[in-house]
Amino acid sequence: MSVLERLKAFLTGAKNDVSENKSDKEVLNQKKPEKTDDGLKSKQTSSKDTITEEKTDSPIAKTSESEETRVEEAVEETSESSNIDEKELEEDDNDKKDEKDNMTLLDEENGKLTLDSVDPDFTQIFIDAGIDTVEHCFQCGTCTGGCPSGRRTPYRIRQIVRKCLMGLKDEVISDPALWLCTTCYTCQERCPREIKIVEIVKMARNIAAENGFMAPAHKATGSFVIKTGHGVPINDATMELRKRVGLDELPPTTHSYPEALEEVQKICEATGFNGLIGFNKETGELE
Amino acid sequence: MEIAYFLGCIMNNRYPGIEKATRILFDKLNIELNDMAGASCCPAPGVFGSFDKKTWASIAARNITIAEDMDSDIMTECNGCFGSLFETNLMLKEDEELKNEINQVLAEAGREFKGTVNVRHFAEILYNEVGLDKLAELVDNPLNLNVAVHYGCHFLKPTEEIQIDNAEKPTILDEIVETTGAKSVPYKDKMLCCGAGGGLRSRDIDVTLSFTKEKLDNMTNAGVDAIINVCPFCHLQFDVGQTEVNKKYNTNFGIPVFHLAQLLGLAIGLGSNELTLDSHLINTDPALAKLVAEADKASGE
Repeated sequence: MSVLERLKAFLTGAKNDVSENKSDKEVLNQKKPEKTDDGLKSKQTSSKDTITEEKTDSPIAKTSESEETRVEEAVEETSESSNIDEKELEEDDNDKKDEKDNMTLLDEENGKLTLDSVDPDFTQIFIDAGIDTVEHCFQCGTCTGGCPSGRRTPYRIRQIVRKCLMGLKDEVISDPALWLCTTCYTCQERCPREIKIVEIVKMARNIAAENGFMAPAHKATGSFVIKTGHGVPINDATMELRKRVGLDELPPTTHSYPEALEEVQKICEATGFNGLIGFNKETGELE
Repeated sequence: MEIAYFLGCIMNNRYPGIEKATRILFDKLNIELNDMAGASCCPAPGVFGSFDKKTWASIAARNITIAEDMDSDIMTECNGCFGSLFETNLMLKEDEELKNEINQVLAEAGREFKGTVNVRHFAEILYNEVGLDKLAELVDNPLNLNVAVHYGCHFLKPTEEIQIDNAEKPTILDEIVETTGAKSVPYKDKMLCCGAGGGLRSRDIDVTLSFTKEKLDNMTNAGVDAIINVCPFCHLQFDVGQTEVNKKYNTNFGIPVFHLAQLLGLAIGLGSNELTLDSHLINTDPALAKLVAEADKASGE
């Protein structure tokens, strides 16, 4: 291909791009009025005071929900309430107004990150724990893209890594979604920056647990290990099965060696694990 | 060859047929399995590792010291146990400061981590120490089954540390499984997690079951007779979890589940009684009936 031809192709290509852009804009312009017909205009005139009140009623929305979820939910809200709008057309005018008051996504009071939200000590914990690769993240999203939990839940690992690096301690540790990772390592295996992502998740969970964000079911699992040495202790049915196939009724583990169980208990006491899960040594149960 | 046999929890406390099959198999292979007296829960990497890293590493290190006293490498048949023991062993061997910190805890229990043994997975020992040829020699009757091999997560990952096989496209288990005459069938998202790990099963069973259902759908579409795993927790998730999926989604899954040790047990002629297959919630009879029918066909020819 001659230089001239290439230049020509380039120019025509560029022209095509321009016309594509134009048509994109046209599509966008067509979409806009549709939305306005839906009553978006009147929604925008909503009273700001009402929103602020509403928002302060649910501080969880501010601290624990990821950006993406918020957007997704907002989309759902929009479609839900436009359905409701249709029904409510026949109903009271005031109700209709209240409904629309909740529609704007503009929130100047809440959900804004300031330096007050940043806890540099939080980031430092990861670095001190040897997970300094948290600083290497350039937010490409390969992790979230491959995450099997993110496919079905609000768990967004890319955001968690970012928040850990930014020191957004409260956002990270109070978010229940932090516990939706199965530690399958898909993210870590694929990370182009070789960030120890699963270590970040586990450390963030350690800090969450330390700050009281630990599920009762998890405390129970912890207490089984203190009580028996096993996260999944033996039961009568399995003892029977073991005997049937010629194995010792109890396996040669802490189940058979009380002094070994004591060692495990001493470890849990020394590390403060008892206190972490609220295990009362005197009663032998969780508090 | 001798090795310290780490049991863990779910195998010995729920599916003892896996343990029984392994003891018989290793006897035939002339590998001595020595019990680790007083070993405990590993403890689970994604569970205890998520609660408190220090407690997790201390309990894991205590288990390792039992094998150190026996002057023997450790073998486990559970991905979770492998993850906890392997990671802790490596971490403490490499990080002097952390080792000292953990040893301070272990001193309370009269123990000390030295870093003198290795932690190995059952399947890796079969592949690298025993070898496929020797395994194939043990097979009495070829198992004419189409199976879905499930690797699980903590057997191969993180690859940077473990380096057993490629984590995205591994072959190690498929090769072992095929020595029995079974055919490892490819299926969609084969490397997907079973959904149980990381404390998710106890924390949010619905999410866990969503993972499991996706796997069961993909396995069903591939037309398999059985699921083969190398982790008692995945095993439990596919067995107990399968009944939970059926209840939650109104489905009718019934894919028999075998730990690799149980599959090899069938191949060397052990009965379903010894393998405690009757204790599985998902009936294994369809797979066993196919084996019998295929064997009859083969002997009739």
